[in-house]
Amino acid sequence: MAELTKHTIRIRMYRVGFGDCFLISLPVGDDHAHVLVDCGVHSKGDIGTIKDAVTDALAEAKNKLAIVIATHAHQDHISGFARCDAQFRACEEVGEVWLPWTENPKDKTAARLKAKNLAMVEQLQLHFAASGAAPKAQFALMNIAGNEKALQLLKSGIKNGAVRYLEAGGELKDPGGIPGLNVKVLGPPRDPAFLAKMDPPAGERFLRMNGSQSEAANGVKPFLGKWLFTPGKSGAYPALEAHDRDSLGQLSGDPEALAFALDQAINNTSVVTLFSYQGKFLLLPGDAQYGNWNFWMGQEGSDALLAEVDFYKVGHHGSFNATPKKAVAKMTKGKFAAMASTQNVPWASIPLDKLVTAVEAQSGGFVRSDSIPVKNAPKGPALKKLPPGFSQGTFWFDYEIPC
Amino acid sequence: MPPVSKARPSNYKTPSTRPLVVYAFDPTAGRGLNNYMTVAVPYEDLQPGPIGSRLAVIDYDASNQCYYEPVNLDHPSVIMSGGLEPSESDPRFHQQMAYAVASETIRRFEFALGRRVKWRRKRGGRADDPVRTKLRIFPHAFQQANAFYDPDLRALCFGYFQASVDDPGDNLPNQTIFTCLSHDIIAHETTHAIIDGVREFFTKSTNVDTPAFHEAFADIVALLQHFSMQDAVLDTIDRTGGLIYKTQLPPEVAPTGDKAAIIPELSEDNPLVGLARQFGQAMGMRSALRSAIGTPPNTHDLDTVTEPHLRGSILVAAVFDAYFTVYIKRTRDLMRIARAGGAVNNQGDIHPDLAQRLAKEASKVAAQFMNICIRAIDYCPPVDITFGEFLRALITADSDLVPEDKLGYRGEIIKAFRLRGIIPEDVCSYSEEALRWCSPEVYGRPVPPCQGLTYDAVEAEADEDAERRARRARSNAAILTNYAKANAAGLGLTYTPNQEPNINAYSFHPIHRIAPDGRLVVDFVVEFLQMKKEPLDPADPQSPEMEFRGGSTVIFNRRGEVRYVVEKGIDSQRRLEAQREFLLQIGHGRPAAAYQDQFKIGGLNFAAIHRGY
Repeated sequence: MAELTKHTIRIRMYRVGFGDCFLISLPVGDDHAHVLVDCGVHSKGDIGTIKDAVTDALAEAKNKLAIVIATHAHQDHISGFARCDAQFRACEEVGEVWLPWTENPKDKTAARLKAKNLAMVEQLQLHFAASGAAPKAQFALMNIAGNEKALQLLKSGIKNGAVRYLEAGGELKDPGGIPGLNVKVLGPPRDPAFLAKMDPPAGERFLRMNGSQSEAANGVKPFLGKWLFTPGKSGAYPALEAHDRDSLGQLSGDPEALAFALDQAINNTSVVTLFSYQGKFLLLPGDAQYGNWNFWMGQEGSDALLAEVDFYKVGHHGSFNATPKKAVAKMTKGKFAAMASTQNVPWASIPLDKLVTAVEAQSGGFVRSDSIPVKNAPKGPALKKLPPGFSQGTFWFDYEIPC
Repeated sequence: MPPVSKARPSNYKTPSTRPLVVYAFDPTAGRGLNNYMTVAVPYEDLQPGPIGSRLAVIDYDASNQCYYEPVNLDHPSVIMSGGLEPSESDPRFHQQMAYAVASETIRRFEFALGRRVKWRRKRGGRADDPVRTKLRIFPHAFQQANAFYDPDLRALCFGYFQASVDDPGDNLPNQTIFTCLSHDIIAHETTHAIIDGVREFFTKSTNVDTPAFHEAFADIVALLQHFSMQDAVLDTIDRTGGLIYKTQLPPEVAPTGDKAAIIPELSEDNPLVGLARQFGQAMGMRSALRSAIGTPPNTHDLDTVTEPHLRGSILVAAVFDAYFTVYIKRTRDLMRIARAGGAVNNQGDIHPDLAQRLAKEASKVAAQFMNICIRAIDYCPPVDITFGEFLRALITADSDLVPEDKLGYRGEIIKAFRLRGIIPEDVCSYSEEALRWCSPEVYGRPVPPCQGLTYDAVEAEADEDAERRARRARSNAAILTNYAKANAAGLGLTYTPNQEPNINAYSFHPIHRIAPDGRLVVDFVVEFLQMKKEPLDPADPQSPEMEFRGGSTVIFNRRGEVRYVVEKGIDSQRRLEAQREFLLQIGHGRPAAAYQDQFKIGGLNFAAIHRGY
C-alpha cells in the first residue's frame, strides 16, 4: 500500500464485491483533498467488506471529503451510503455531492423518468415473483430498487455539502475547493434524442400473485364480453394453429428484456467525468453504456480527450456493453493505467474476458479487484506481478500518478 | 347475422371499389380536420374477418387468449352505410379500418409498381391452410404499446395499451389506446410487409442504413398518404395560407391577452407533418412521434445518429424537403395571382377556391412523390442498401419514366439529399448523369444479351394458369442462373464452377413504363444473390458465423440487353468489415447482452427496434 505523498495523485480501489468504491486523493499543498467516487455493493455480490472500505476511506481522508460522486442510482454504486449512514454523517466536512441530473427532484423530466422507472420495477418484481425463474433479470431489478435511504443522504449533501446535479456539457473549475482541479462533465446528456436510452417503454402486461394463483396485474380487456367469438363455427375462419398462438404469445411481451432495459436505462444516467489535475487526466465513466459513450464520442475533440487519459476506471465492472472497443483503441497505448472493480458473481458473463484482455493489452498497467483474495469471496485470476505504479493493501489496490 | 348469398345475379356489374369509412388520423382528432374519411378499397370477394385474396384479418388476442367477432363487410346493413361508422368500442370497426388502410396502401404500391404485390415467401405451413398466401393482420394481437410487422409470422401485429396516467396528452389517463386505429401506424406496418416482399433481405441488418431505410420508407409512405388526402390537407392550407409544411398551425384568432383564453386562440400541431400522434401522446412522449420534418438540414447528423428511427428520419426529411419545394414551385403562380387580387402573403383564412386549388396541387405532388419513391424500390440493390444507393435508385427510376424533368423534381431531390450529407459512393458528382446507375459497358466489361426469357405483357388475372406460370418461372430462373454464371464478372458477381458462393436468380419481374413517344416499354428487373458464411470475429477461432450476402440487381430491356447493374460484390472486403463492425455495435446496444452468456445478433428484430414507439 502506498502512503500519500506530496507529488502523487493516488487512486485507491476497494474490493467490495460486485460494486464500486474508489477514493481519489489529490495533493494540495502539504495536504491532500479527497474525492469519493461511489460506494456500494450489490446484495447478491456482497463479500462483506463495504463497511471496512468506508472506515478506511474516511480514515485516509481524515473525515474530510472534498467531493462525493454518486455516478448513478444503483445499489452496487450507492448502497454503502445507506449502510454506513452514521459514519458518513459523522464526517467533519463534505464539500460537494454530485449526482446525475436525472436525480434532481426539481427537474420535471427527471421526476417523470424516475417515477416511471420505479413503478415498472415494482410491477416487474411482482411479475417475477408470480412467474418465477429469470434470476439474472431479478438481480438486475434488485439493483434499482430500495436505494431511497442512500439517495436521501446524498441529496441532503451528507454534511452540509453543496449538491450538484450534473449534465453533459458542463465544465467545473476548482470544484470542492480544490485549486487547479478541472472537471469536464461528459455525461449524462440532456439531449432529447438520448432521453429514449434512459426511458424504457411501458405498456406491457404483468403478472402478480393472487393467493396461490398468478393473474394479470394490469390486464386490459379491450372489449365487452359480447364481442367474444369462437372460431371454426360455420362460415367463420378456423382457429389459429398452436405454434402461431405461441409465437404471438412470445411477441406479446418480454418482461425479462424489460428488466434489463430498465437496468441499462439507469446505467446510462451515469455521471461521466474527466478529471484534469496538474496535467494528469482521469476518466471516470461510472457504468455508462454504449449509448452514453457514443453520444460524447460523437462530439468534436473527444479523440483528443481519450488520447490524454492517464487513468481509466473500467465501466460497468467490465461488461460487454460498457467499454466500446474504439474507445480503448483511442487511449494512448501504454500511457494509461486501468482498474476494474468486478467479480463474476452474481452474473457469470461479467466481466467479459475479451474486453478485460483488450484493456489490459492497451494499458500500461491493469488490475481487477477480484485478484485480491478475500475470505469466502469468489476468486478472480491471480495477479502475477503488480504493474508499475500499483501497490496492494489488505483489500484494495492503489495506483499512483506522479505529478 | 343473416346468411349472405355468394351467388350474385349475373346481370349486375361487379363494382370496382368498396367504400369503407376510416379515421384519416386517429380517434383523438375527433370529427374535426376531416378525420372521418371514406377509402375506396378495390373490390374483392370477402369472407368475414375480413379475409380477402391478399389480406386476412384475424382478431386473436394473445394476452387475453380469445378471439373477437369478425366483421362481415358483405352484410347488407354494412354495405348500405359504406362500412361501419367509426367506433373505438366495436372491434369490427377496428378490423374494417385495418383492412381498408392496408388495402389502400397495397393499392398505391401496385399502382406505382404496375404489378401485384407479393408477400415474403413462407416456408412450411399447412398446404390446406386457407390463409397461406395472405398477409395476416392481428388488430388486437396483445397488450403492448407497440405495433410491428413480423416476417416470421408474416403478419402485422397491432397492440393495445393503457394511456400513461400522469402524461396522457389528449387521452384520458388509463384510456385504452388501439394502435390499429392509427392510420399512420397501419400504413407504416403494411409498407414494411410490402418492402419485405420486394426486397426480402432488407430486413437483415447489415449496415447502419438498412434498418433505418426500412423505417424511413414506411414513414415516407405513411406521411405522403396524409398529403395525398385532399380534404385533410385543405384545413392546414386554410390555416397556414398554403404553407403545409409548418409544424404548428397558427390560432384561428390572435389571442387578445398575453396568453390564449379560448380554443380558437390556441395554436395546434400540424397533423400532417407528425406521425401517430395519439400513440406518442399516450406513451407520455409529448413531442410528436418520429417527426422528422422541421429540423434544419445539416451534414453531420448522419455521422452520429444510428438509432433506426432517428437515422431514418434524416432520409424522410430529405424526401419531404424535395416534396415541399416542388409544391411551392408549382403553386407560386397561384399565389402571385392571389396577391394581385389583394391577398396578403402567407396568412391564413385564404379564399376557398385558392385553398381548393392548393390542396389539389399538394395532393397531386404527394401522389407523384409516392410513385417516384415506390418505383425506386425496383432499382435498389438486392441486399445491404444505403441511403446513397436509394438516391441513385430514385434518380434512375424517375429519369427512365420521365426523361425530361421540366419541373425539376430530380434536381430538388438531389439537392435535399446533398444538404443532409447523404453521399452515394463511387460517384464523381451530384449531377443527375453521374447518379444514374450504369450499364456494364460503362464499367468496361460488356455482356451479351440474355436470350429466351418469357413473360406476359399483361398480367393474368385468374389462378387457373398457375401451373403454366410456375413452369415459366422455373425456366426463366434456369436461364438467368446460367446467364449469370457465364457473365458473372460483367454483372458484378463472383463465380467459379463447383465452388461457393453459388449464384441464385432470386426474383424476376417485368416493369412497365410509357416511353416519351407513347409506346409501352417493358423492362425486367432481376435479383441475383450470393451468400457465404464468415466468422464474426476473424481473430477468434470460436467466433460465431454470420451470413454475408452480396449480389446484383440487373435491369434488362425487352431484348435481354443489360441496361443497369446495381452491384453489391460479395468479395468486397470493405463491406465485410463494415458488417462485422455493425453487428458488434447492435450487440452493444442490447441491454441483456451484459448479463446473458449468449445472445443473438443478426436478423433484424422488428419487435426490439419498435419497442417504445
